[in-house]
Amino acid sequence: MNNWNKQIADMLADGTVALVIGYEEGSTPQKTRPLFCHDAVAAERLVMDGRCTHNLAVYLTKKELLPAEGRIGVVATVNVLKSALQLMQENQIPEGRFLLMAVGPEGKLTELPDAESLRQYIAAHPLPDNPEVAALIEKIDAMSREERWAYWQECLSKCVKCYACRAACPLCYCTRCIVEDNRPQWILPWASTLPNIEWQINRVMHMAGRCTGCGACYAACPLHLPIHLLTKKLTQEINREFGTERPAKGNVLSTFSPDDKENFIH
Amino acid sequence: MSKIGVFICHCGENISATVDCARVAQAAAEMEGVAYATDYKYMCSEPGQQLIRQAIREHNLDGVVVGSCSPRMHEPTFRRACAEAGLNPYLCEIANLREHCSWVHEKGEATTQKAIDIVQGLVEKVRRNQPLTPIRVPVTKKALVIGGGIAGIQAALDIANCGHRVILVEKEPSIGGHMAQLSETFPTLDCSQCILTPRMVEVAQHPNITLYTYAEVESVEGFIGNFKATIRLKAKSVDEKKCTGCGLCTTKCPNKKIPGEFNEGLGTRTAIYVPFPQAVPNKPVIDKEHCNYYQKGKCRVCEKFCPTGAITFDQPDQFITEEVGAIVVTTGFRVLPTSFFPEYGYGRYKDVITGIQFERLASASGPTMGEIRRPSDGTVPKKVVFIACCGSRDPAKGIPYCSKICCMYTAKHAMLYQHKVHDGESTVFYMDIRAGGKNYEEFVRRAIEEDKVNYVRGRVARVYERADGKLVVRGVDTLLGAQQVEIEADMVVLATAGVANPGAEELAQKLHISYDPYHFFAEAHPKLRPVETNTAGIYLAGACQAPKDIPETVATASGAAAKVVSLLSQDDLVREPLVAVVNRCAPPVYSTCVGCFLCQTACPYQAIEREEIKDRQGRVIKTVAKVNPGLCQGCGTCVSFCRSKAIDIQGYSNEQMYAEVNALLNHE
Repeated sequence: MNNWNKQIADMLADGTVALVIGYEEGSTPQKTRPLFCHDAVAAERLVMDGRCTHNLAVYLTKKELLPAEGRIGVVATVNVLKSALQLMQENQIPEGRFLLMAVGPEGKLTELPDAESLRQYIAAHPLPDNPEVAALIEKIDAMSREERWAYWQECLSKCVKCYACRAACPLCYCTRCIVEDNRPQWILPWASTLPNIEWQINRVMHMAGRCTGCGACYAACPLHLPIHLLTKKLTQEINREFGTERPAKGNVLSTFSPDDKENFIH
Repeated sequence: MSKIGVFICHCGENISATVDCARVAQAAAEMEGVAYATDYKYMCSEPGQQLIRQAIREHNLDGVVVGSCSPRMHEPTFRRACAEAGLNPYLCEIANLREHCSWVHEKGEATTQKAIDIVQGLVEKVRRNQPLTPIRVPVTKKALVIGGGIAGIQAALDIANCGHRVILVEKEPSIGGHMAQLSETFPTLDCSQCILTPRMVEVAQHPNITLYTYAEVESVEGFIGNFKATIRLKAKSVDEKKCTGCGLCTTKCPNKKIPGEFNEGLGTRTAIYVPFPQAVPNKPVIDKEHCNYYQKGKCRVCEKFCPTGAITFDQPDQFITEEVGAIVVTTGFRVLPTSFFPEYGYGRYKDVITGIQFERLASASGPTMGEIRRPSDGTVPKKVVFIACCGSRDPAKGIPYCSKICCMYTAKHAMLYQHKVHDGESTVFYMDIRAGGKNYEEFVRRAIEEDKVNYVRGRVARVYERADGKLVVRGVDTLLGAQQVEIEADMVVLATAGVANPGAEELAQKLHISYDPYHFFAEAHPKLRPVETNTAGIYLAGACQAPKDIPETVATASGAAAKVVSLLSQDDLVREPLVAVVNRCAPPVYSTCVGCFLCQTACPYQAIEREEIKDRQGRVIKTVAKVNPGLCQGCGTCVSFCRSKAIDIQGYSNEQMYAEVNALLNHE
């Protein structure tokens, strides 16, 4: 048993936390899966390594899965931390409810109790850019407008509107999504090319300035549609227009700073 | 099933010249939900309105579309007609057939078809309209006046005399402002203090006015009728209740060489001081920056001598909150110091002074008891040069505007100088003489003709001190063909530009009012709403808008007071109900708002608040956004920003607009 597993087992035993969400070995050696530890015994099964790719932050807004009282520990990857920080800024996680923890390379457990410590940890642990994603975006950027439209039409015609992308995304936490709104019916509910494209455009626009780039939407898509390229590209656009800094309160599109570019006004 | 009435107006020939109105009415009659349709030559005329009222009653209509001119023109007319017939006015909509169709197209089939489409869009919208009732917002019957100069004094007295309570906040230890510093006032040469001080006393004694001096507005929240202001009462270090204002402390304070603000640095004061003998309130404060005790920890002389034990060194700043219905901003202006002008010696020459410093020299309560004596050696100057437009009307100095009061006070200064120094010689350099005002031109003529003030039209390039200590003024006389003029002077008075106070921008941001590039506060309309700001319930008066003379300042103050009084005379404000509303639905969801509050940062009017939905035990179930209908202007920014479409504008809901646009687009 690792030292950090022991630490977490102790926290569960002495009631510091009522639940710990982390990862355990999956059904194949290549994969891990999320684990909800309610007691010290289960803490032995926790693992943390490069195979942990699920974004556990998606559970933080699911009240039905969490105990009503007590703190909840999360053994988090950097992607989980980034999503959790964004959720904090959007008032979705009550202060002090979650104890986010990161596991260092030597198995050292770091507790990140507040937004500021999260921000510092994230800044100190930048994630490398995925060269495959960068190459794909470059390929699509090089296309003509018509080619690009044809590419996305072809790609999204396969979408079955299962909304797995929505379910996997920690920031898609609305109790009523726009696709469920029928007064008016903004987006036709069935799966066909145009409504599929409308759905993705809406999803991506709703992620503007919020997406943390974890790739959970792509990982969840049963058809492996490269929908993460859309959010990634939008993030690039926002970085280009407004810089990589995000306002501590509100959204990059809802707030104004005097050095924002105004070159969109012609 | 709706029963909508459609009324197509010919607008004389304005619409019927290019649109076949009868055919539009026929087509409307066949639209889904339309129970009655007709056309008429002048729908806005009394018989036209009667037609609508009658149709509502006879056909039991539950919605009305009037195809006529722009809603800006006659929406209120037709909504009133509907209300008279018992239909909720917000169930009446205007299809703009004149500006949007007949005026901009040729006569023809397509034009008539477009008119039909526009009507179709509005019919679809009205089918989804909900009856609305105007919003009533309660009004707190108390006003806050920020700034205790003549503008603030006048506004406070006018409001208080109408029976409303007033909070007057002044940042200095005494009210009075610049007017208290002036010697005589143009064009009558009556003593400024003689006319001002009775008003200052009236303010202090008025039962409806609460005066806070040495205080500043810290923050303002809320909206028209319901502001909440936090005021910082700076520590005076003197217990006002115990202090009798005997003034013994000010005579005993060992720190006597502090340049006094009231005398513009020409006189001195002590660290514990009353700004001037006629101050209101006439009780001293301790200036901590210059007090030996606060700076070095030793002294306490004032405490030792105070016969009532009123000195309290440990007094902290106090914060109080006041709820008010209206705010009048009267924070005034300042004039540029001589140090602003490199060409006039950067403030190095003691005998180059500003106009306001000259006021102090000429004032009976000033450092020289009203004798004109120059600051450097106290001798009476025999030659004085006045320079108008110092900084003003000079884009190179960043002040392209005219400071407005300088022409008049310069004439007054020269006149006062001639009256006091009979063998003196005064010269005024000017660009133009702007003496627009009752008896103003006559006043300037009197200075030139009767008091023999030498007026030279031209700019002064430089003022410098010669080796023998004499000031030399070098300029041109443009009326003598730009001939160079050099005058030796004993004293030079600069009519420096009137500029905004240093804290003006910060205050504007606290109050959410707009300001111009020079940090003067902006009127809602420069001509027709000159004392209102763009923020409802906040008014302006005096020189915080732009440099103003006393009559104009007092006029705007009384104007602002009239606006405040008309607001405070109502028990509540009635507003159009076209505001954003956060939805509510059945438990366990309660509202589709998820409480991300991104709308809060997007709202330009600070209208979005937090609301806790609680169960019967008082436990918070959910925190959601709430739109304050008193602040919301119905712009819809929050609606477009809400991802889950939890916010809608009443009267312009997503559903209504979607139906209207669909109807416009979906014809073959």
